[in-house]
Amino acid sequence: MVAARGAGRDGRQAEIRMAPERSQAGEIIISYFIFRMPYFIRHMKCGIWNMNTKLASLSNFKQSKLARWGAGALACLLAAYFLTPVLLNKAAEGLIREDRLVKSDVIVALAGDIRCNREKRAAELWRQGWADNVVVSGMSYAWGFHTGEAARLYVMSLGVPEEKIYMICETLNTRAEARALDDLMRERGWNSAIIVTSAFHSRRATYTVERAAPGRSFYSAPVPTGSPEWTPRAWWTRRDDVYVTVREFGSWTNTLVGGWQ
Amino acid sequence: MMNPKKRWGKRWARGALISLGLLTVGCAALFFALPALLIAPASVEKSDVILYGAISKHSAADKYVIDLYQRGVARKIVCVSSQVSWELYPSDYVRESLVLQGVNAEDVVSLRLPLAPCGGAETPRIVEFVKAHGWKSALYVTHPEDSRYTDNLARRFFEGEGVALSVSYSPEDREELTRNWWRTHWKTQRMVGEALIIALDRFYSGCR
Repeated sequence: MVAARGAGRDGRQAEIRMAPERSQAGEIIISYFIFRMPYFIRHMKCGIWNMNTKLASLSNFKQSKLARWGAGALACLLAAYFLTPVLLNKAAEGLIREDRLVKSDVIVALAGDIRCNREKRAAELWRQGWADNVVVSGMSYAWGFHTGEAARLYVMSLGVPEEKIYMICETLNTRAEARALDDLMRERGWNSAIIVTSAFHSRRATYTVERAAPGRSFYSAPVPTGSPEWTPRAWWTRRDDVYVTVREFGSWTNTLVGGWQ
Repeated sequence: MMNPKKRWGKRWARGALISLGLLTVGCAALFFALPALLIAPASVEKSDVILYGAISKHSAADKYVIDLYQRGVARKIVCVSSQVSWELYPSDYVRESLVLQGVNAEDVVSLRLPLAPCGGAETPRIVEFVKAHGWKSALYVTHPEDSRYTDNLARRFFEGEGVALSVSYSPEDREELTRNWWRTHWKTQRMVGEALIIALDRFYSGCR
């Protein structure tokens, strides 16, 4: 601050000398700037000094623990903000298993789709000739109806002949379904199957049937994603998809630890 | 003397372990408290209609609903469900079953609901149906684990339209559901599923 004041005094003296000799507009402006020079210099120097001071204090700050922690926390927050969606998308995509299809003995539409898109996809694959038979699945209720029976009727309405449709019953969960499927495949002498289920369920379902029926070949052909079906991209923004995804991760944990049967 | 870095690390490890332990204990406590948190005390008020929504694989609420009807708690029964498979509405079958068990055919109807993402989107349709029939009070028979949430959520919709609501469930269903529930797959699935639904619905305006 002292240096700036000194410069100011010199500048003002220069202006006083020049002012009476020139009267034109340009010169007045120049005079004005010369007159204001000490002010500009003072502020410029002040700015530089301030900057130096700030840099020095920044350097001290950078060395302080608080600054390091703050910077670390900020970096973590930014990373979390940008990486979380990527990781969540990847995690959901990891639930899907889609295999290259091979002609098989049977197409299996697993139970649990109230919209019957699994059965629709199974019938579509049957029409394309990927297998000769279709298996539908479901369970009976105390009031005398069977969801597997409804699924069978639906598949028939889509053009699959009745004699080509088989049913597995009382499939309360995927593991029970896999065991029932294994029994049916053994009974019918089938060695390969295309598993049709919702995309979020495809990896776990195929993993479960492979475990239940070792030595047989299974190929996963999930129902395509997209509304109203579950969609992995930005799943956390849709209430239904959040429910399904969180539940599926829970079910995976249960399957891997061999929990509830 | 211990290295300060080591001491710092040890302190952190201890803090992390304590936090993890507390989190585990909290989760376990929450898990075992689910029946108490989800199941509300049953409340049976004399009403114009019984809304029978406890239709699922493991429900046996028919006897309870018929008992309510025969005791004159309500003169009409509406069986409520959305589809569970292709063109399959359980409420149609439940209606038939109730008629076969002695309920007058003209006193029981089946209400087919379209698929809805959550209770908050489904309940207005039930309210609309109740209002269209001129009923002023309803007794909602639901699943035990759904009772507290239904009591909170549905009550707002019903009372907002001037219809009094009480929520109940079959005592047999409750007994069956709460018996060793943490050891049975479907029971745990229903409890945890309901807790998840309640938690999720809070974040979505269309479901609150």
